[in-house]
Amino acid sequence: MVNKIHFVVILILLISMIINLFPLPEIITPYKPPLLMLVLIYWSLAFPNQINLTYAFVFGIIMDVLLLMPLGYNAFLYTVTIYLIIIYYPQIRLHSYWNKMFSLLIILLPYFIMSTFTNNMLNISYDILEVFVSMIVSVLIWPLLFSMLRFIRLKYTV
Amino acid sequence: MKSELHFRGERFIIIKLLIFLLLSITFLFADINLKYSNEIRKKFSHVIQPIYSLAALPTDIYNSISTYVTYKNNLILEKKELEKKILIQSGIIQKIPSLQEENKRLKKLLYSSNTSSSSKIQMAELIKVNLNPFHNKIIINEGANKNIFIGQTVIDSVGVLGQVSEINNDFSVVTLITDPAHALLGVNARTNKRIIISGIGDNRKLIAKYIPLNEDIQEGDIIITSGLDNVFPEGYLIGQISKINRKESDDFLSVFVTPSSSLSSNREVMLLW
Repeated sequence: MVNKIHFVVILILLISMIINLFPLPEIITPYKPPLLMLVLIYWSLAFPNQINLTYAFVFGIIMDVLLLMPLGYNAFLYTVTIYLIIIYYPQIRLHSYWNKMFSLLIILLPYFIMSTFTNNMLNISYDILEVFVSMIVSVLIWPLLFSMLRFIRLKYTV
Repeated sequence: MKSELHFRGERFIIIKLLIFLLLSITFLFADINLKYSNEIRKKFSHVIQPIYSLAALPTDIYNSISTYVTYKNNLILEKKELEKKILIQSGIIQKIPSLQEENKRLKKLLYSSNTSSSSKIQMAELIKVNLNPFHNKIIINEGANKNIFIGQTVIDSVGVLGQVSEINNDFSVVTLITDPAHALLGVNARTNKRIIISGIGDNRKLIAKYIPLNEDIQEGDIIITSGLDNVFPEGYLIGQISKINRKESDDFLSVFVTPSSSLSSNREVMLLW
């Protein structure tokens, strides 16, 4: 049972990692939501006992290697975000549908603030408007992603 | 059921968090100074390359379908146009040997050193993957087996793209001239004044740094590589000056340059030896 959960989660994470790397038209590339992050959030909400910080850290490192980022950049951000998810997990779970979207915004806020902060520290250029729009986009696609992943969860991990 | 709803081991999680945070921050600072993530990528390049090509697959399929579906008439037209282009360009090239000879003679008269022009060109294809939008880097499909070296110039048909910054077995990473950490020494083709061109992270903009207020510079001036930085060979197009902001209170002019190469919409690039 637990092995099955790990298998399905790793598979989905790998797929979303590749989707994250898909080239998009030039205009929408800057507003791309952090897909792997969102999928990780979903799985840590669903199975907080199995999918937690280790997953966040390991997949962050893999992402850093793939995206040519300084090693540890995504690992740091993912770890902190998943930590917040796990701490506030009991509250989020009770929220209604729309409230869940709102609480996702609250949880993603530290992620984006920290990413801009780290960018500043490491001299990586960024556009604050693009970061903001990317955050909004991630909140908007969340319901769709949520229902898709829930379908997968109910079908394959129970 | 209860264990599903409540999270176990909250004491563990804080220790875990601290360990991972410490690890990632150490990695971050160590990587900025030592650049060992390049080594890691090199070691795992056999795993990374398939992931990249998998991610580039949709674009490849789209491209091959769109070539397949193109009408015959369009292809014929395109072929005619390309043939015309080749004719015109080979006409221009005819003059080059004599110009080179003349150049050599004039340089001898001026007692200046003879710069050797690069001779070999190799095509490489872009691997189109979606990297971090804030990073001005591209991945090309040529690796260590093709005698590529770090710092090698990469151009496209209209101008300088950047230089090779990382070489792996099956792919290499090219840092574009628009990267904020990249700068090169250009020369104003009209006045022969040297200009430092630096990236700011925007794909459609470069800035020219440290230009005194009284410098002879105009919008529309063409900037070419100077060959003095020992990285880029002489005489390749960098871009055109698009905007000059003259503010008497500043120490230097703020000058923007539009890069001539299409940095975002390329499919093929050329490596120079």
